[in-house]
Amino acid sequence: MPDDTFMGVKRERIPWFPTIDYSKCDFCMECDKFCPHRVFEHRESGPKLVVANPSNCVVFCRACSKTCGPDAISFPSKPGIITLIKNLREEGG
Amino acid sequence: MSGQYAILPCNGLDKNAGPLARELALNLAAEAGGEIICPVLLNTAPSRYERATAEMPLLVIDGCSTRCATKLANRLGLKIGEKLLVTDGAKDAGVTVEEGLTPGPIGLALVARLAADFVAKAAPSVAQESPADFETPVEFITVTYDKYIFKIPAAGYFFNENDCWVRVIGDRARVGVSDYVQQSMTDITFFDPPRLGAEVSQFDDLGSIESAKAVMDVISPVSGKIVAVNSELVDRPEMINEDPYGKGWIAELEPQDFDSDKGLLLTGEEYSPIVKKKAAEAQH
Repeated sequence: MPDDTFMGVKRERIPWFPTIDYSKCDFCMECDKFCPHRVFEHRESGPKLVVANPSNCVVFCRACSKTCGPDAISFPSKPGIITLIKNLREEGG
Repeated sequence: MSGQYAILPCNGLDKNAGPLARELALNLAAEAGGEIICPVLLNTAPSRYERATAEMPLLVIDGCSTRCATKLANRLGLKIGEKLLVTDGAKDAGVTVEEGLTPGPIGLALVARLAADFVAKAAPSVAQESPADFETPVEFITVTYDKYIFKIPAAGYFFNENDCWVRVIGDRARVGVSDYVQQSMTDITFFDPPRLGAEVSQFDDLGSIESAKAVMDVISPVSGKIVAVNSELVDRPEMINEDPYGKGWIAELEPQDFDSDKGLLLTGEEYSPIVKKKAAEAQH
């Protein structure tokens, strides 16, 4: 969805999405089962789970990390993202 | 902590947080009484605990975010009164517990502290200042998609794109979630309230709500100090389903700079197409 926007800013310009710490992830796939936005995808080779569609992630939603037993999912800091969104809005999205 | 609880720990044995959940349960039972529920026996023979869960509110203790104890309680249709999550407690306390499966001194100290905090907590954890006079809105815009009909107040409410609303009357800003949230989550079964007196920035979390389908952080449309929390939702979270813009409100804040916050919010009319788009995406 390249024409997708959040708060008037192109979604792809907002770096809000989960990051998987593969040293902690046990590939239980609970996050993927939970997320209705298909942010995660399974892979046959390499890590079995990847953040395949970061722009599908709902900005400010961290719900998948709350399903993560090994605490392997992190998100960027909210204040930084809010400042960025405000700046991008001033530029006109 | 008011009275005794039926205490259901996850008792997980394969991660360091599970044995701490068990320790926390033992600690609370020793300090405050109540009855410990074995999750394995509960799973096998739920009737064994029928009396305990009928007579006392249920305190669920999860070790990690897999939340097995919560899921078990939900699956058996047990009403959860209070919840503790060991890993969240560790994060709040800024503590990293030992890796091993046998609790170490750091883990045990954390558990003692979580138990003491829970016992010391004043009975109504969500004391409520008398809320200002917010009337239920009368006029709605309706957004239809497929068989769904979503209601959005036509005036007086502002929304963020995280489906939370704010209504400001005088020096009070009341916050809640939209009709779209309650319909897409289906039956809301748990409300984790925000902390009264906390200062929040716009887009900070204001507690969370849970259904069998999802956990959702309430994202504050407004910055300010939390001066009231809808304590009725703790016992009756389904009020969010019944009346999301009225009796199902989440919290009230003293807004810090609503004029500035408003620049990042949407009117009901502006929010409507967003709901339609979300509903369409959810279908596909």
